[in-house]
Amino acid sequence: MPTDTGPKLDELVRNDRVHRSIYTDEDIFQLERTRIFRRVWLFVGHASQVANAGDYFTTELAGEPVVMTRDMEGYIHVLYNKCPHRGAKVVPIEYGNGKVLQCMYHGWAFRHNGRLAGVPLRRDFPESVLAEPCVAMNSLPRVDEYRGFVFASFNSEVMPLTDYLGDAAIGIDELVERSPVGKIELSGGCHRYTFEGNWKYQLENMADMYHPAATHASTVNDEGLQFKRRPGAKGGASPFFTETGEPLVSMSGQRGYPHGHSSEASLFADEQSGGEIWEEYRGQLVAAYGEDRTKELLRNRRHSMMIFPGLDILIAQTAVRVVKPKSVDRTEVLVYPARLVGAPDELNKEIIQYLNITHSAASFIQSDDLEAFERCHKGLKAGGTDWVLVARGLGQEKDEGNGVLFGDRSSEIGQRVQHYAWRSLMLEGMDGGQAHG
Amino acid sequence: MVSQQQYVGQGEIGGDWETLYRMQRFVEKEATLLDNGEFREWLDLFCGNCEYWAPAARNQTDAETNVSLFYDTRETLETRVERLYHPMIHCQIPKSCTMRLLGNFVLVGDKRMDQKTRCISVRSKFIMLEDRPGVERRLFGGTYEHTLVENSDTGRLHIKMKKVILTNCDGVFPNLTQPL
Repeated sequence: MPTDTGPKLDELVRNDRVHRSIYTDEDIFQLERTRIFRRVWLFVGHASQVANAGDYFTTELAGEPVVMTRDMEGYIHVLYNKCPHRGAKVVPIEYGNGKVLQCMYHGWAFRHNGRLAGVPLRRDFPESVLAEPCVAMNSLPRVDEYRGFVFASFNSEVMPLTDYLGDAAIGIDELVERSPVGKIELSGGCHRYTFEGNWKYQLENMADMYHPAATHASTVNDEGLQFKRRPGAKGGASPFFTETGEPLVSMSGQRGYPHGHSSEASLFADEQSGGEIWEEYRGQLVAAYGEDRTKELLRNRRHSMMIFPGLDILIAQTAVRVVKPKSVDRTEVLVYPARLVGAPDELNKEIIQYLNITHSAASFIQSDDLEAFERCHKGLKAGGTDWVLVARGLGQEKDEGNGVLFGDRSSEIGQRVQHYAWRSLMLEGMDGGQAHG
Repeated sequence: MVSQQQYVGQGEIGGDWETLYRMQRFVEKEATLLDNGEFREWLDLFCGNCEYWAPAARNQTDAETNVSLFYDTRETLETRVERLYHPMIHCQIPKSCTMRLLGNFVLVGDKRMDQKTRCISVRSKFIMLEDRPGVERRLFGGTYEHTLVENSDTGRLHIKMKKVILTNCDGVFPNLTQPL
């Protein structure tokens, strides 16, 4: 934590730069846990991960083990994954199904809504203790769902989820409506990668169309073509540069939303795809949504939409990415392909196989991003200057209304709104909403 | 001379000695090419309709319904190999150095070359070290399953399918730049 000798908390984020300690300082990381992760809405999982009654799925939120369950009536719960008796983590595996959740230590059992279902040798316990409401697998204070995306908050006073998402919810809409029946499933497994570095490098990278030309240079061949990015017959290697030599990807725009969300405009329009399967899929979308909405969906306006502080809707990849800060120096990231329910199997297969070459730890793209994050974390140990610049396109933003700012030409507006939201929350203001600096 | 039958049960080696030895030598040579960073020569071992697959889930049955750490057909494998020679592959500056130790070779399936398809499958166990300056040593281990095909004109073996099953395939990975 910056002390008498360093800048104060309210001086760490300026309009055009941020202090390096926000990436490297252990005390700041602990404060983030309280002031950011325990106050806003956090993505837990997708309803499809607990598709059936009795299903459960475990994860971590702000470093705390939680379990998402579906009870016998079909309702979804998000519980602290802890036995109220002696504190053992109850569910030890990622996915499962059962009539109850049972603690291995003394055999206490819980219903999927968290309520105590059974205590071995019960008569030796005072009933008054067992009757206390907190003697349960407690629910997180707030749980809500938007189109299958389940969010929870440690903060009972948190604003309604739809207010928190605001216009950024269109990222979820655009992904879900790629399914002709408006339904996705996270059923195709998960890429899991990690890096020695702070979580914010990954977040910033999800609003960064400036880096690909340098970071991903190794994915472009001598003829200036990048590897096949889109499925379908026409989805071959595509040009990476304009005629004037500027990387195409850096011509795309960025958006900043209230509460720190951001989106990247797209480079890879799905209209580039083709072939029989693609036409079949397109026909399904037209039947479901009409020609205009289909065109809009397949124009693929957004490469991604990042919901602060760690959910990334990868519209271009048809996938969902979740960022899990583990410590100030280590971050884990999960990337799930989204199965488009009702779409041709062949298309869903292509989504999975495309994600392998872009977002696996062994992929052509992600491996160099991971290198960049670790280089940042090493580099920021150096002095010289204490500041990191996020000034690209500053002052050039267009206000699109509703708090949404558009920045042309790989503007760093997305990163700036992340930092402005961070600053607002860290200073304990819950308005945190302004995308403006 | 001690006969095969006396030395070790036929079932244990899974086929005849000479065939097993030939496949073992091929797989060991493949591992050496990788350890030497001779990736183009490594690519040459694969046939045209090859698959290179490292599942990302335990007991994963296919590469179509679940993501994989690696799933390459010839086209993406060529991209992968060429990228390894690219002067701006940042995650390989500096380069990694690997060492694989192979053992427990056994022929599987029919335990002999199919006379029609000229295919044969061999399984082995491996341990691999990866060292890269500035990065903590990494240790990988698991099972290789090679389906090899013999070219009927040249008599040479090629890899039709290489499947790598890491013991921690469902784990969390730092960047994986080296083909396993």
